[in-house]
Amino acid sequence: MKYLIAEDEKDLQFSIAKYLNSDANICETASDYLEASEKLELYEYDLVVLDLNLVTGSGLDLLKRLKKQKRKCGVIIISANNSLDNKLEGLDLGADDYITKPFHLAELNSRIKAVLRRGQFGGDDSITFQEIRLDTLARSAYVNDKPISLTRKEYDLLLFFITNQGRVLSKAIIAEHLWGDDSDLLDNFDFIYVHINNLRKKLTKEGAKYIQTAYGSGYKFIAD
Amino acid sequence: MMISGVALYFYTKILLEKEIEEELYSNKARIERILAQEGEFIDFESILQVKKVQHQEAEQLQDTLIYDPSQNEIELFRQLSGTKIINGTNYKITVRAMIIESEDILYAIVFTFFTIIFLAFIFLFYLNKSRNEKLWKPFFTNLTKLKNFSVRSDKPLQLVDSEVLEFHELHKELKILTSKIQTDYKNLKQFTEDVSHEMQTPLAIMQAKIDTVINDGEINETQFQQFSSLQSDISRLKQLNKKLILLAKIEKDQFTTNEVISLNKLINDTVLNFKELFSIDFLIEENATINVKMDFSLATVLCNNLLSNAVKHNFNNQSIDIKIFDRKLQVINAGEEMLSRPDQVFERFYKESRQKESTGLGLSIVKKICDYYHFVPTYSFETVHYSKKNRGRHIFQIDFSAYKD
Repeated sequence: MKYLIAEDEKDLQFSIAKYLNSDANICETASDYLEASEKLELYEYDLVVLDLNLVTGSGLDLLKRLKKQKRKCGVIIISANNSLDNKLEGLDLGADDYITKPFHLAELNSRIKAVLRRGQFGGDDSITFQEIRLDTLARSAYVNDKPISLTRKEYDLLLFFITNQGRVLSKAIIAEHLWGDDSDLLDNFDFIYVHINNLRKKLTKEGAKYIQTAYGSGYKFIAD
Repeated sequence: MMISGVALYFYTKILLEKEIEEELYSNKARIERILAQEGEFIDFESILQVKKVQHQEAEQLQDTLIYDPSQNEIELFRQLSGTKIINGTNYKITVRAMIIESEDILYAIVFTFFTIIFLAFIFLFYLNKSRNEKLWKPFFTNLTKLKNFSVRSDKPLQLVDSEVLEFHELHKELKILTSKIQTDYKNLKQFTEDVSHEMQTPLAIMQAKIDTVINDGEINETQFQQFSSLQSDISRLKQLNKKLILLAKIEKDQFTTNEVISLNKLINDTVLNFKELFSIDFLIEENATINVKMDFSLATVLCNNLLSNAVKHNFNNQSIDIKIFDRKLQVINAGEEMLSRPDQVFERFYKESRQKESTGLGLSIVKKICDYYHFVPTYSFETVHYSKKNRGRHIFQIDFSAYKD
């Protein structure tokens, strides 16, 4: 997959690119409005990660142009402004998702994958990792084509793991992904442990031992 | 007034006395003339007397009291007596005139004065009143407007101008002052929001960098713990920012999409969400149906914040009671003791305990939302005697009855 990261903060741009690159994707970057619009004119991208406040212009204008040209390209808006109006405006203009700063790279990654999966960008309704297959339409999981019954949260968890395979995920990241803003209510993330443990048990029963503990309190989904 | 009254009294008295004396002299002269011509004079009782005397006497002017039988009282007379030789005979002529008593003069003056004063007073009172009313009208109109003035409102203070220079100046200064206050207030609000927004990007960079470091490998367990804790700090800042922005937005009146919301349903949904996160019992007691017209996201925030506050400060993992009755919603959690400053529980950054990681904004957002829709939030504490485990209950109540569409 080929991404364009249009973000004027070089540090953030670099980190995002690095994180996404590790999935054998091609990440190009643009640091301002002109560079972004130039690259969008010249090349085709599967997905654009678009910052709304680019130094020399508004990301919304870029989005408008993209949609006017009917480009087959997913757009995820990242913005420092979490006002609903901004969000709605972005989504109305045709953005596929909206994420507010600060965010976890794993979360951004999972959103990107979700956007790409939604058919029209050449994605697939099923995700496969070794012998595990997820049907994202039916929200069901299979190991060696044998369905395993997962709770809603366990399914989300597994999807999140597979999307961010090979990366270390802390409990906080997982909690935030699964419960969004409600996760800040939690004093500790022991609660996550229950869900992860249940999922791990179910997978292990079918012989899929991919959830590994990293640094004592984090998790990593990785093929041995 | 008093002085002029006294002066008038004496002046009148002197004037009258003079007049009487003049009259006496002229009467005397008249009698003398009659005597000279006619040779005799018939006495007028008390008033004019002519007597033949042997000796000459000096002319004398004096006061005398004479009984007046017709009026049956003793009257004060002024008397002039003198001798005169007319046609060789020595006559003593006495003329008298009744004096108006000083008391009468005094009464007359006092009465007149008071009447005049009274009339003048009434006249001036009403004149003044109507004049003042006219004169102060702009002042009082402006005062009412000032009382109704709110810094939060976007509308500038519309004052009535006046022709009176002082009022005009006051009006001018007030206008400058209030517009300055309003601008400052607006700037302050904007500042909070701007700062919160500006902080998001650096926070995003920090978080992204931590994510990168963690995934780069080459760190040990302790370092991972520290990075994780850094991440949770960042997420706390993020929550704080979000809440500050929400507060600013409520203050800026940016929630106008109202819809009818069933509070019962919302509470049940929120509880369902919470049950996933906490192993605490939530007991919902619905004795009424409450529908309110408000912004959906604010309603969600309201329920979320009330419940999360109850969960956060719950004691001993006891059950949380939610009661819906009349037009009231109560969220009740167990607690050890009454808050030390219950009146400040809805204030920003009020924290009862230092241990809990809370932004201190949750309840102030509840209050803001309530204020916005004219709901009434209250806090009370109920001591429970019958149970040793459960020492008391914190009751947060929201009264929706004051709310009108």
